[in-house]
Amino acid sequence: MAVVSSRGQRIGNLLAIAAVIVVTFIMLAPIYWIVSTSFKPRNLATTNPPTILFEPEVSPFVKLFTKRVQLKPKEVVDYENAPWFERLVFDGGERITRSGKGEIQLSGYPDRFINSLIVAITSTLLAVSMGTITAYGFSRFKVKGEADLLFFVLSTRMLPPIVVAIPMFLMYRAAGLNDSHLGLIILYTAFNVSFAVWLMKGFIDEIPKEYEEAALVDGYTRIQAFFKIVLPEAATGIAATAVFCFITAWNEYAFALIMTNRRAQTAPPFIPSQIGSGLPDWTVIAAGTFLFLLPVAIFTFLLRNHLLRGMSFGAIRK
Amino acid sequence: MITTLDPHSRAAYRGWSDITIRNLFVIPTILFLIVFNIFPLLYSLGYSFTDFRASTKDPVNFVGLRNYMELLSDPNIWSNFTITAQYVIVSVSGQVIVGFGLALLLNRSFPLKGLITTLLLLPMMLSMAVVGLFWKLLYDPNFGIINYSLGLGKLEWLGDPNIALYAVALTDIWMWSPFVMLLSLAGLSAVPKHLYEAASIDRASRLYTFFRITLPLVAPILLIAIIFRTMEAFKTFDLAYVMSGQPTTEVVSIRLYKMAFQEWQTGKSCALAYIVLIMVLCITNVYVKYLNKAKER
Amino acid sequence: MRTATKGMLAGLGLMLASSTSVLAQELTIFWAEWDPANYLQELANQYEAETGVKVTVETTPWGDFQTKAFTEFNAQGSAYDMIVGDSQWLGAASEAGHYVDLTDFVKENGVLDKMAPATMKFYAEYPGNSGKYWSIPAEGDAVGWAYRKDWFEDPTEMANFKAKYGYDLAVPKDWKQLTDIAEFFHRPDQNRYGVAIYTDNSYDAMAMGFENALFSYGGELGDMSTYKVDGFINGPKAVAALDAYKKLYSFTPPGWAKTFFVENNQAITENLAAMSMNYFAFFPALINEASNPNAANTGFFANPAGPDGDQFAALGGQGISIVNYSQNKDEAFKFLKWFIQDDTQQKWADLGGYTCSAAVLESEAFRNATPYNEAFYQTMFKVKDFWAVPEYAELLTQLNQRVYPAIVGGEGTSQETLDALAADWKATFAKYGRGS
Repeated sequence: MAVVSSRGQRIGNLLAIAAVIVVTFIMLAPIYWIVSTSFKPRNLATTNPPTILFEPEVSPFVKLFTKRVQLKPKEVVDYENAPWFERLVFDGGERITRSGKGEIQLSGYPDRFINSLIVAITSTLLAVSMGTITAYGFSRFKVKGEADLLFFVLSTRMLPPIVVAIPMFLMYRAAGLNDSHLGLIILYTAFNVSFAVWLMKGFIDEIPKEYEEAALVDGYTRIQAFFKIVLPEAATGIAATAVFCFITAWNEYAFALIMTNRRAQTAPPFIPSQIGSGLPDWTVIAAGTFLFLLPVAIFTFLLRNHLLRGMSFGAIRK
Repeated sequence: MITTLDPHSRAAYRGWSDITIRNLFVIPTILFLIVFNIFPLLYSLGYSFTDFRASTKDPVNFVGLRNYMELLSDPNIWSNFTITAQYVIVSVSGQVIVGFGLALLLNRSFPLKGLITTLLLLPMMLSMAVVGLFWKLLYDPNFGIINYSLGLGKLEWLGDPNIALYAVALTDIWMWSPFVMLLSLAGLSAVPKHLYEAASIDRASRLYTFFRITLPLVAPILLIAIIFRTMEAFKTFDLAYVMSGQPTTEVVSIRLYKMAFQEWQTGKSCALAYIVLIMVLCITNVYVKYLNKAKER
Repeated sequence: MRTATKGMLAGLGLMLASSTSVLAQELTIFWAEWDPANYLQELANQYEAETGVKVTVETTPWGDFQTKAFTEFNAQGSAYDMIVGDSQWLGAASEAGHYVDLTDFVKENGVLDKMAPATMKFYAEYPGNSGKYWSIPAEGDAVGWAYRKDWFEDPTEMANFKAKYGYDLAVPKDWKQLTDIAEFFHRPDQNRYGVAIYTDNSYDAMAMGFENALFSYGGELGDMSTYKVDGFINGPKAVAALDAYKKLYSFTPPGWAKTFFVENNQAITENLAAMSMNYFAFFPALINEASNPNAANTGFFANPAGPDGDQFAALGGQGISIVNYSQNKDEAFKFLKWFIQDDTQQKWADLGGYTCSAAVLESEAFRNATPYNEAFYQTMFKVKDFWAVPEYAELLTQLNQRVYPAIVGGEGTSQETLDALAADWKATFAKYGRGS
C-alpha cells in the first residue's frame, strides 16, 4: 500500500530521526563513559576536567581477574622475569597475590561470572517455561477466580525484597538451599514467573483458538497442539519474556548478597566491592561492569526483532 | 473461553483431558508462588506483632499492635513515605514522558532502526548498584562529566538536600525510560495504519489524531508499563542508597533496610514492610481497575 | 528443554555435593573486602604451608559487611569459622552467643601481655572491665589525618598564613589550628578546598568523624557504665565539638555530603583538600605513587588535641573471633594460637597488617616503616569508641538522624541537636532496660 507522503511529512520524519539520534547520544553517554573508563589508565579515571581522549590500556581487565595488594614503599619486585600482565599490575603500584605454592591467585570475578551465567540462564528457562504453560492454562481454560489469581500472581512482584529477606533466609537455611545455585535459581524463577505469566497471557490470548481446534480435528492431542501450534506462534512473546527475565535475574543484587557466600555468589554484589583499598579503582569497576553487560546486550540484540512484537501484554486491540 | 470438545472425539480419547492439562499447567505455578511468597509473608506477619530481634536470643514477646502504632505515629516514617511518593511521581512521570516520547519518534522506518532501538535499551540492562555508583561519579562536582559537559560549574547534584532526590530520580529515569519506550513502541506499532489514513483524509489536526486515535489505543499497554514502573519505584532501594545519604532521599525501603539489617528490629521492620505492602497493593489495585476499563473501551 | 533443565539441575547437585565433602581440613575467615584481608590471606597461606590446613579469607564489600555477618549469625550458619568483626559488634555478638568465649584462651596464652592494652579493651573485652574476652585483636586502626606537605611548606603560603593568623603554618597542634588551616586553604575559586571529613550517614562513618572532635574536645558519648547520657552528649564540650565539626564542614569541597574513606582519600589524590581525615588502614593508597600522584607530598598526623589539651581519636579496627556455630572450633583455636605468636605478628606487620602486638608496635622498625606508622603508634594509645551495646545500631541511627541535618543542612543549633539526641538515646536505653 503506497502512502503518499507530503513534503511536510518528509520534513517531520527527518526532524524526528534527527531527534532520535540526539537522544540516543545523550542516553548512551553514561554507557560510553563506563566503557571508556574500562580502558583508561587508573590515574585518568577521575581528573578535573574529565579525560576524554587517552591511550587505551587492557590493565583494568588484568586487574579485574587477579587478586592484588598494593606495593609497600621500597618493596622489591621481580619486574624483569614477570609475565606481561603482571608487569601491568606492577605499573599500577600493585602486585598479584600468590598462593602458598606460588600460583597466581584469581579474583572472585571469573567464578562469580560463571555463577551468574548458570543462575540467570537456568532461572530464565524455568520462568519462561512455567510462565508460558500457566499463561496458556489461564488463556484457554476456565479457571475459577481467574482475575483474582492473576492479581495474586502480579502481587508477588510488589514486595520489597527486604520484606521477605529474613523469613526466606531462615527457610533456605532450614532447607539447605543457602549459598547454592539451586537456591538462587528457585528464587529468581519465583521473581520472574509473575512477569512471564502476564506477558505470555497477553500474547497467547492473541493467538486465534481456531488454529488449535483445527489441529485437534486433525488428530493432535491438546498437548501436541500446544507444542506444535501454540509454541511456535508464541515464539516472539517467549523471546521478549526471556529477555526481560534474563535482565532481571542477571542483575539481581539484594538476595544474591544475603543468600550466597563463596560458592554460589553472582557478580553484581562483587563488582562494586573493588573499592576496598581506600581508593576506588574506577577502571576495574568499569571493566567488570562492561564485561558483565556484554552477555545481556548480545542476548537482547539477537532477539531484538521479537522484542517489539512480543511486548503486547494482550493490551493491544486488534 | 472454555473450549468444549465432543467427549467422543478422537482427540479427547488420546492424551489428557482439558481439566488435567489446565490443572497441570496452572496449579504448580500457583503453588510455587504460594510457597515462595505467601509463606514468608505469613512468617513476617507473625513477627510484625512481636518484639522479635533476629540478632539476639532474647525471648520473643507478643506486643499486639504496638509496632504499627509506633510506626504510624513516627513523623520520620511519614517523611519517608512523603519522599517515596515524591520519588515515584517524579521518576515514573519522567519515564513515561521520555519513554513515550522516544517511542513516538522511533515509530517510523529508518535505517539502523533495530540497532538504535537495542542501543537505547542498554541502560536497563545494567545492575542498579553499579548504575548508582557510576552516576555518583558522573554527578561529581569536581571530576564528573555532567557538570563539565553542561557547563554547570560546581552544581552539587547529590550534595544539595533540595535537589538530591531529583538527581536520583533522574538516574532512574535514564535507566528505565527504555522500558516504557519498548512497551509504547509495541503499542504504537500495532495501531492500524488505516486509522491514520482515514484521519489524514479527514484533515484532522495532528493533535486531534494523537489524542483521539493514538493515545486511546496505546493507553492499555502504557498503563501496564506504568504499573510495573510504579511498583519498582515504590520499592526502590539500591539507587538512592548508593547515591545519597541525604535525609531528603531516605525513601521508605532505606529506612526498612536500616531497621531490619542494621538495627535488627526484626518485628518492627516486618510491621513497616506490611504497611508498604498494603500501600503498593492499593495503588496497584487502582491501576489494574483502570487497566481493565481501558481494555474494555 | 525439560530434560536439559533436569540435567543441569542434576549437575548442580553434583557440584554442591562435591564441594561440601572437602571441608575437613579447611578454615574460613570472614572479613570485609580490602587490602588487609588480602594480607591476611597471604599470612594464612604461610599457615597452610606449615600445617596443611587451608585457610580461606572470604570477603564482602564494606557497606554490606555488618548485614552479611549478622544475617549469617542469626541463622546460626556455619559458613564461617572465624570472623574479623567490628569492635561495636562485641555486645550484640557476645550477648546473643554468636562468639565463642575466649576468656580462658586469653588467660592461658598470655594474650593480655602480648597485645597493646587499648586494643584488648576495645577489640576484645565485653562488657567493659568485665575481664571477659571474645576476640583477639587483629587489625588495629583509628582515625588520623593526611595533609599536603607541598601546600604547607610553600614559602608564600607560609608567609601569608603567618600574616593572617600570627603563628607558623605547620601540622596543627589543636583543633583551633586545624580549623584555621582549613579556612586558610579553602579557595573555591581555585578549585582548592580546606579539609575533607566524613559525612556518610548510611552507617558509622559520620559518627566516627564527629567523635574525633568530640573526644579531643573532652566530650563523651555518655557514661559507659551507667548509660547516663544527659550532660555528656549534650554537655558544653560536646556542643563545642559539634560546632567545630560543622565549621570544618563549611571548608569541604563541593558535594561533600556522603563521604567516607574513598572520597577522603580522593581529596588528597585529586588535589581537592589541604587535609583529610581517614582511617590509617586506608593510608597505604596515599603513599603509593601509582594511586596517588601526590604521594611524595603527602604527610600524616595524629588527630590533634582539643582546647583543653585532651587528645583522642575514634577507633576503627577489628578483632578476630571464633564463630559459635563453626564445626571446626578446635582447628580455629589452633589457628589463633599460631596467630598470636610474636613472629606471626611480626610477619603480619611485614605483610601490611596493622598488628596490635605491643612488642611489634613499639619497635623502631615498625614505627619507621611508613610515613604514617609513627602517627598510628601514637594514636593507638589514645583511642575511644562508640557504644558497643547490642542496640548500638539504633543509637547510631538516632545520631545520624539528628546530627547529619545539623552538619550538612545547617539545621538548628548544636545545643538543640544534641539535646534531642540525648533524649533519643535516653529513651532507647530505657527501652532496653539499661541504667536506671
